[in-house]
Amino acid sequence: MNWRNNQQLQERLAAEYALGTLRGGPRQCLERWMREDAALALAVAEWQARLAPLALAVRPVPPPARVWRAIEARLPAAARRGLWDSVAFWRGLGLAASGAAAVLLAAVALISPQAPAPAPAPVVLKVPSAGMAEAYLAVLSDPKTNKPLLLVSAGRDADQMQVRTLDPSIRVSGKDLELWALPAGGVPTSLGLLGDAERSMVKLAAAADKSLANVPALAISLEPKGGSPTGRATGPVLAIGPCVKFW
Amino acid sequence: MSPPADPLASLLAACAQRDRAAFARLYRETSPKLFGVALRILRREDWAEDVLQECYVRIWDHAQDYRAGLAAPMTWMTSIVRNRCLDWLRRPNLEVIDEEGELIEATESGDPGPLAELESGADARALKKCLDALEAKQRQAIALAYFKGLSHAQLARHLREPLGTVKTWVRRGLLRLKSCLEAA
Repeated sequence: MNWRNNQQLQERLAAEYALGTLRGGPRQCLERWMREDAALALAVAEWQARLAPLALAVRPVPPPARVWRAIEARLPAAARRGLWDSVAFWRGLGLAASGAAAVLLAAVALISPQAPAPAPAPVVLKVPSAGMAEAYLAVLSDPKTNKPLLLVSAGRDADQMQVRTLDPSIRVSGKDLELWALPAGGVPTSLGLLGDAERSMVKLAAAADKSLANVPALAISLEPKGGSPTGRATGPVLAIGPCVKFW
Repeated sequence: MSPPADPLASLLAACAQRDRAAFARLYRETSPKLFGVALRILRREDWAEDVLQECYVRIWDHAQDYRAGLAAPMTWMTSIVRNRCLDWLRRPNLEVIDEEGELIEATESGDPGPLAELESGADARALKKCLDALEAKQRQAIALAYFKGLSHAQLARHLREPLGTVKTWVRRGLLRLKSCLEAA
């Protein structure tokens, strides 16, 4: 069954995954595919959100105290693993694996381990570059035809992205195009709406090096005017592609 | 476009920064609900305790993967617990207790219990309205699958209907549910 080109089937698998009726081998397959296919991951996240009120309608039952004691006993190891052994953490910060960088990062991590900020403290280390602009670049293509539709770029220190529309037919009158960051292992986050011009800017919440460091892919969804009312993509994914850094 | 600030989202963000006090608070505020979710699916306290423990360690380990823009904190954590429960139920050496007896008893076909509790919040009201709009058989199959973690085959046995029929109820019910929620 060619599920990748069958949007109806994908939608059904996503729904049955969230409901729980997708079991065994097919469930494991879908979990693997979700990691490779952001549109599928998005469909699953949407179904989980649709059904969540059902789960939350259960009567709360305080667990026995031994559960928390067991969790706590497992935490210190988890804390060490989280910071030191996480490949994503090191790679995500874009650090050259030099001793000096490691020492500096360790210092930053030790100074602000309790910071309530929603993202890791920004650590920007200048690495000498050979003339090439240090930038994030993404080519977003039609998920069905692979035709490139948009080009997104952002200088490493810039707090905005430039979006160039390669194919104006992606626009639909009366609708907006919304740009999403698809973080590794996380749920998509809106980056904002595209302007109407062939070239437009999308403001980032923080410098690209912070906003995009852990974002391996971007996607565009079709949304009502003014953007998704729910904070989640509500329309079809029109374009998707990897976001890579060049330096 | 961002959903309104949820205090649980701030706690998750602090957990991502390895703030153990925030994690303890997150546990205090969310574990009764999530234990309830696990108990409803697993129906055994010892299993639900094991699953809850694993899930909170997972929540701590993956707090940095949580993205507030796409899922409410409870939705995210509930999905982790539900997934782990379903994994648990398909362990190969699981001694399935009395699948035909206790299970059926526990899932009285007319049981409106959890659905009746679906009241607070706009999302919950919309979902309730759309579930009510389904055919009774579709609604029952979806509710049993979701609340009890029943597979298609278990649903068919429980409802005493052919497997194909039950699959169709689930599929059509989900389709109607989606279009109803999108029209809301």
